[in-house]
Amino acid sequence: MIEVRDLRKFYRTRFGEKLVLDKVSFDLRKGERLGVLGRNGAGKSTMIRLVSGAERPTSGTIERQMSVSWPLAFGGAFQPMLTGVDNIRFISRIYEQDFESNLAFVEEFAELGPYLREPVRTYSSGMRARLAFAISMIIEFDCFLIDEIGAVGDARFHDRCNYELFEKRADRAMIIISHDAGYIRDHCNRWAVLHEGRLELHDAFEDAYTVYKEVIGASLGTAKPVVSHVNRAMMIESSQRAALADDRFRIHVQQGDWARDSRDWASAEREYAAALALYPYQRSYWTQHGHVTKEQGEFGRAEISYRTAAALGVPEDEVADFIQFVAARQDEGDAAPAVRGFRPGLAGSQPPGKPDVETFAQLLWPDADVDERCQLDLLRSFATCDALAATMIADPRFAAAYSALHRNGQPDSGASLHPDVIERIRCFFTADLGRADQSDADAELKTTDQILERLVARETLAEWPLTAQALQAWAAKDFRPAVLHSDSKDRFPA
Amino acid sequence: MATAADRSSLRKSGGVQLRVLGALLIREMLTRYGRHNIGFLWLFVEPMLFTLGVTALWTATKSVHGSDLPIVAFALTGYSSVLLWRNMPGRCIGALWANLALMYHRNIKVLDIYVARLLLEFGGATISFTILSIALISVGWLAPPEDFLKVAAGWLLIAWFGAALAIALGALSHESELVDKLWHPASYIIFPLSGSAFMVDALPPFAQQIVLYVPMVHGVELVREGYFGSAARAHYDLGYLIPVTLILSFVALLLVRRVAQRVVPE
Repeated sequence: MIEVRDLRKFYRTRFGEKLVLDKVSFDLRKGERLGVLGRNGAGKSTMIRLVSGAERPTSGTIERQMSVSWPLAFGGAFQPMLTGVDNIRFISRIYEQDFESNLAFVEEFAELGPYLREPVRTYSSGMRARLAFAISMIIEFDCFLIDEIGAVGDARFHDRCNYELFEKRADRAMIIISHDAGYIRDHCNRWAVLHEGRLELHDAFEDAYTVYKEVIGASLGTAKPVVSHVNRAMMIESSQRAALADDRFRIHVQQGDWARDSRDWASAEREYAAALALYPYQRSYWTQHGHVTKEQGEFGRAEISYRTAAALGVPEDEVADFIQFVAARQDEGDAAPAVRGFRPGLAGSQPPGKPDVETFAQLLWPDADVDERCQLDLLRSFATCDALAATMIADPRFAAAYSALHRNGQPDSGASLHPDVIERIRCFFTADLGRADQSDADAELKTTDQILERLVARETLAEWPLTAQALQAWAAKDFRPAVLHSDSKDRFPA
Repeated sequence: MATAADRSSLRKSGGVQLRVLGALLIREMLTRYGRHNIGFLWLFVEPMLFTLGVTALWTATKSVHGSDLPIVAFALTGYSSVLLWRNMPGRCIGALWANLALMYHRNIKVLDIYVARLLLEFGGATISFTILSIALISVGWLAPPEDFLKVAAGWLLIAWFGAALAIALGALSHESELVDKLWHPASYIIFPLSGSAFMVDALPPFAQQIVLYVPMVHGVELVREGYFGSAARAHYDLGYLIPVTLILSFVALLLVRRVAQRVVPE
């Protein structure tokens, strides 16, 4: 048994002392596998290091009546100048183990072949992970501490790790921390949430996960996703990693995955959609969203998702067959237009996805109802964002919204847009509107009218030639700048 | 009163300690010298080359050392001692940063890392000193030591002082990189004061008083008295060197304890 009592840990930082763990107490018996959920930086790894004895608590006690491993599958225990064999010999000496049998086990398990006799610094990160895991399996601890083991290695290696840990060593105690809530759900029999230094224990995963979600919601709330808005290509690129680093996004896709695995397609779609609402340019979950939508027979919606995934950079071959499939099931006479994969270059020349259609619809057709059918038509018809925007401007739905407004002569009219949408629009037209975070003078750009006036006033748009033409054509015919009306009497009724 | 159980658990702990030190020693040797060319022979070939080079230099320039001792003998005893107290801190400064990952193994303590490096350094310097002594004695450039035990005592005292200094600086260096920056100039400045390049007896009385505040001087003088007997006219005071080293050792252990409390494995 391991008895942890009133564990506290302070770290000294430049900004004073930081409390990482506050009165953490728990017992762990043989056969118990404790899974710990918590945000990035919540102190999970610190807790594991304290339990392992590698680091000392500021106060509190840890009674170990069983042998406890070092935190598993960390790559750092190696001396990079030494060979794999030397490292095995070192560990064997430290823990008084038979070197020959250990070597045989590692040779068989890590599958490093002749590399085992080369310095570890020549290894790839995957090879290091295999060696690290194999070495940690040669010592038979009573309690294993597992820190993010899911983060490394290929699927086959993963399976073998799981077999070694959870089949062959099912009788041991374990503490597991992972970002993968599914891994923790499947392999643990007790759960805990670590938040603001406090550890809260639960006997049912659902309870722990509910608390974890609340904690994430409370602490992240409506925090803005950290996505670069330098230009459209950068925004897509940075969305990929930013999304996966955001616990809110991860929770949604995790629940989406679970719902998908239990064939609850509607819930899965809801969760994926919630995740994508946070990060509309995260490409891989558009594919997932497409899959679960397709399973519900919503082929039009699925096609939108697949096309969006491709437009945002999922390789075309990965979704082409699915698009063929869903297109064939919507009673269309003619074949669906080709898939358009992401092309780097000017923002206007990149293929549009669903978030682009929605953004342009808010800006250009504020009064129109752009339903799924319409979105799909637009996505099928236009190869570039530029062509899409230009056609939407030439469309009567644009003129209907704007000529009416301007004839009323209200310069501050126009729909005010959500700041995120404005930021996205500015990111499309970086060269013409400037980035929101860089020019304070443009901070007042808030409504559709203001944005359009600015775009019309630019005459040519750097990355959007067709859009510029369409805007100028409309302006010549229909547009009178709102400033002309600013002295209008009916603005200030007596 | 120690019970049988206490004794057996102490023996067990001692066994763990020896095993860990042994493993660390081998690991250090492999990391430092590898398996290429002469491998771990570098352990003492390197200090030998140093000592030989300095000996040759001092002989060629007929260095003034203020006594009628043969210059070869003077250089050998002097420079070998320098290697001892100067290289030990050099090896311990930053040693913990380089081995942070080892802190994941509960049996390995911060002190073990320093001790392993010190043993290696002490071994290298001692083997080098011994081999050179035997070689020079056998070709007749050096007379055998008059009192071997005094040589050994002086040598061990210098090593003890060097080890205490090394552990203290090593522990401090984990918290401040200034230690690393300052030790290099400091060791160069201390070198001419350390008694390696002069005999205390040759200095004016005023300078003798000052120089005898430097702990290493006492050790080097003792080694020379052991080697050359009364011809060396050595000045040393074990009543000064031993308390100073004891206090330094105590401080060093306190510093290690503090670092061990705070160390965060990578």
